[in-house]
Amino acid sequence: MPIAMFSIGRSGLLASRTGLELTSQNIANATNGDFSRRSLTQSEVVGTGNIGFNSSDAFGGVRLSGIERVQSALVQRQARDSASALASTSAQLQGLAAAETALERTQLFDAMVAFEAALTRLESDPTNIPLRTSVVESARRLAGTFNTANETLANARGLTVGEAEADVMTVNTLTEDLARINRELVAARDGSASKAALLDSRDAALRKLADQLGITASFNENGTVLVTANGTPEVPLVDGGTSAPLSLDVAANGTISFTIGGTGFVPASGAMAGRAAALQGKVEVQDQLDALANNLITLVNTAQAAGSDLAGSPGQPMFAGTGAGNIAVVMVSGAGLATAPGGASPGSRDTANLTALLGGIAAETGPVAGANGMLLQLSSRVAGLELRREGLSIVAATAEGELRREIGVDLDTEAANLVRLQQAFEANSRVIQVAANLFDTILALR
Amino acid sequence: MGSLSTSFGSFFERSISQMNGLRSQIDRAQTQIATGSRIERGSQDPAAAAALRVLDRRARLTEAASANAAQLGQELGLADRELQGVSALLQRARELAVAAGNSPLGPTGRAAIAAELAQLEQELFARANATTPDGEPLFAGDVAGPAFTRDASGAVIYAGSATVPAIPLAPGTVIERGLPGSQIFEFEQGGVPSSAFAVLGTLASALASGTGDPAAAARDAIAGLDSALDTVGRAQTILGTRAVWVDMIQTEQQGRAVDLAERRSEIGDTQISEAIIRLQQAMTALEASQSAFARISSLSLFRALS
Repeated sequence: MPIAMFSIGRSGLLASRTGLELTSQNIANATNGDFSRRSLTQSEVVGTGNIGFNSSDAFGGVRLSGIERVQSALVQRQARDSASALASTSAQLQGLAAAETALERTQLFDAMVAFEAALTRLESDPTNIPLRTSVVESARRLAGTFNTANETLANARGLTVGEAEADVMTVNTLTEDLARINRELVAARDGSASKAALLDSRDAALRKLADQLGITASFNENGTVLVTANGTPEVPLVDGGTSAPLSLDVAANGTISFTIGGTGFVPASGAMAGRAAALQGKVEVQDQLDALANNLITLVNTAQAAGSDLAGSPGQPMFAGTGAGNIAVVMVSGAGLATAPGGASPGSRDTANLTALLGGIAAETGPVAGANGMLLQLSSRVAGLELRREGLSIVAATAEGELRREIGVDLDTEAANLVRLQQAFEANSRVIQVAANLFDTILALR
Repeated sequence: MGSLSTSFGSFFERSISQMNGLRSQIDRAQTQIATGSRIERGSQDPAAAAALRVLDRRARLTEAASANAAQLGQELGLADRELQGVSALLQRARELAVAAGNSPLGPTGRAAIAAELAQLEQELFARANATTPDGEPLFAGDVAGPAFTRDASGAVIYAGSATVPAIPLAPGTVIERGLPGSQIFEFEQGGVPSSAFAVLGTLASALASGTGDPAAAARDAIAGLDSALDTVGRAQTILGTRAVWVDMIQTEQQGRAVDLAERRSEIGDTQISEAIIRLQQAMTALEASQSAFARISSLSLFRALS
């Protein structure tokens, strides 16, 4: 009889010691974001035997059946999906905000109004050389501003493409990791600490992957995962032990497209989708900027051609170029400005042609209204994205909080467990001591 | 573990994001106060930013139009002063013509008057070719060269244009920058085109030569001088009216500039008192959440157990 008590006490000691170790492990990983709280599952050991109609039980203590990890498939999925949506909007916002900065900080609108004001000023005294020179200089500043805006926009595009290229490598590393984890999970034993650790790294890799690409994960009984990228078409990224590589193509106009394992693919969410949308938006802004520059060049040069300059000869073009990148002032001096109508005498102070040009610049379809409209459209778009990001970040933060609450470690609970297990350990030692005393009592019989 | 358990990580995450939010509110209010402008980037308020751009443009163009109006006012003033001189000069010529026509004068007297008249004609020519401080002719219309020239015979001919360029000073308001010399110095005398120069020149040469009846020639010239005075007087009235008009426009432009500035400030400037209150509010909230964080994070069973 005391023999059984020894083994029962020993099994209890083992269980409480393992429990203490597990609690320490939980506490040690309290700040580890990828860690899922572990618990110990135990079962009673009872031996039952029958002889004839007489049955008899023999208690065997407790058995450790395995280390269990908190199940969190649903909250994990919510966290992943909301993170994908947030990353997509954030990346798009970041890209377009850079375009907005490019156009606003270069003060394109301001330069255009300065040019218009210089022309207006010239109306009072069209033959005044300083006033004419100031028109040419403000035109030079305007052309320079267009060039700068163009360059800043190109830089912003380059940065986004660079980011996307770097993150393609991240995605490929993650999918390779997931394929490896799948292979290892097949071999891992249920209820083992190593399996729990593998599942933790699987969930962490899926979360990181979801930041870059929206994914659907379906899990098998043994914990292996089939990862499909959300988008058109839906392409498997990780299937069993193999992963399909993601690759990126940059088009000449700066937009990007993706392939997974050689199949063309348009992502639906995640930072990659956001970057593709941002680049598309930037190309639209670039087109608008070029159209604006071209509008200005055509308007001014047409007006020049219709008038005559200070010397009475037909006006020559003021601007060269076709877009924001190559617009330049080719007029040498202010004397070349054709303020007077065609055929006017040298030194004419008739401003009919200048007035017509000013009318064209200020018109609804003119470059000033065009610049204002472009800026308004872009900043409204950025403002809309900002609002959306705010909403999505609340959703994502809630999902993330939900996940932490579900899988994270609660220190108060662990502290209580520590006390409880310590007491259990002491009680089990006491059982062994009692068994020893009983044994001694039996031995002392004489 | 029920839904009541709050994991260690989730509490810290939440606290960090809340405090970050408050910190960025403080940052925004501080920037608004420091820069004095409510909108740093267009996307913070796209409609207001577009309105600001339009207002800035209008302010800028109003500024240019004010400069134009000031210049026009100055030119009209200069022209008026020249015409006052012309008017006085013609008065003097008329007095001389009256004197030459009525009182019996000897050849020396006539020669003296003729010399003075020739001098007056020279001065009239100079005044008719007066320029702005920039060297632009005042009475040549839209032509760059001098308004009046002398041909080989010494006759004065108008070399300017018949029209004068107009300057737009405000939407829908266009004011001509003066009068062409032809409308100031040229007129019809008895159905025949004549000019102040011709009347003066003819009289001076008639008196100087002494042939025929100089007194009668002087009496004839009076009618011509009266017409010249009338024409100049009319021109002065027109210029005076325009000068008053320009003054009115300038006053209006100043008013508009103030309006634009007020509107701009309404839309784009930081409301300092509001921003300071918001700053104070966010700072109080941050301090409170910091001290709450410090207290709650020290609530641990571990602390109680030790």
